[in-house]
Amino acid sequence: MAFSDDRPIFLELADAIAADVLAGLYPEESQVPSTTELATHYRINPATAGKALNRLVDAGIVYKKRGLGMFVAAGAPEALRRERRSELHTHYIAPLLTEARRLGLTTADVVGMITKDQA
Amino acid sequence: MTPTATEASGIRIQQLRKSYGSLEVLSGLDLSLAPGHIYGLVGPNGAGKTTLMSTICNHTFPSGGTILVDGENPAENAAVLERMCFIHEDQPYNDAFSVGSILHVMPTFYPDWDDALAQGLVARFQLPLERGPRKLSRGQKSAFAIVISLASRAPYTFLDEPYLGLDPTAREIFYEELLADYGAHPRTIVMSTHLIDEAADLMEEVIVLHEGEIVLQADVDDARSSAYIARGLADEVRAFVAGRDVIAERSLGRILSATIRGHVTADDEEKAAASRISIEPVSLQDLIAALGIHTLTSALTTENR
Repeated sequence: MAFSDDRPIFLELADAIAADVLAGLYPEESQVPSTTELATHYRINPATAGKALNRLVDAGIVYKKRGLGMFVAAGAPEALRRERRSELHTHYIAPLLTEARRLGLTTADVVGMITKDQA
Repeated sequence: MTPTATEASGIRIQQLRKSYGSLEVLSGLDLSLAPGHIYGLVGPNGAGKTTLMSTICNHTFPSGGTILVDGENPAENAAVLERMCFIHEDQPYNDAFSVGSILHVMPTFYPDWDDALAQGLVARFQLPLERGPRKLSRGQKSAFAIVISLASRAPYTFLDEPYLGLDPTAREIFYEELLADYGAHPRTIVMSTHLIDEAADLMEEVIVLHEGEIVLQADVDDARSSAYIARGLADEVRAFVAGRDVIAERSLGRILSATIRGHVTADDEEKAAASRISIEPVSLQDLIAALGIHTLTSALTTENR
């Protein structure tokens, strides 16, 4: 993963770990990498890696086992799936319709393209 | 945290001045460095980065002001000086000794010296132990300085453009070793660099020095979000930036990019979208370059502090 300048790195890293949880790369109750492992792997400041993990703790995606490290919470993949479904409109559909309008296409045109794709 | 990092209270500098003859390099500089953080020290050539580090480490005496390291004046204070490591970019060594024998005596100067780490770094950088330091290439000299700096485990470690002459592979080794060892043994690391965007992710805070004064000291993420670029047709951009703090402008034909200091609000985004202006993030490098060019009236330094 390469970080862009668009958003703070800790947000990008938190999203990347969440995406890996959603994809099942870190199953429920499995351990996620430590602050130092993340920092060394991505060449980032450990404080930044710590902020990313704390964000995931606050969101209930991972939890801390004292002295052992961070683990994926039970039900985290399902919770992420629900969240991403609710964000599908903001993140994908709204920008798609904005771009379509810029190109002189109607919503019906876009729907037509989607259903044609599905056929 | 190592015991040393928790006992340490950091570095406090007040009204520090340093002149070489009639040339004033540092002109009344205030700076606080907390223990256990990685700081990036950036700024144009001649800004005073090396002078600042040399003065803190007592390699040269200040012309005025106070420096306190863990509450003590470092001047000729052996107990404080052994807690600091600063290898100069053109560090003079006694050429009668080889790289290996210089490393051998290092524990005398640095009580926290880790020989296993030094040997591991020597192997990774493929440093010739039997060679004299003057016979090292530019990249090898930098690697040698990195070996001493990291293996010193000094609670206050200063690195002056540590990557000079290092190829991309060696720089990757440096970043990886620095973060791995810092993770295991947190300490204060101050690194001067011109490779701002490459090194930005390593830093927790960035300190921008310009003509002997600190013009910005901020968390890297805060610094990045403290400015943005508005790009669009020149007339529309000019209307948009009216009353805002523009620190840099670049034009390409009819298109103007203005770097603006401040945070983007939802209202700004709406206004921009209405007039075909795109709001873009600014890289740390671009922000610092813009700050360097911009005449600074009120420093960002005091904000959020």
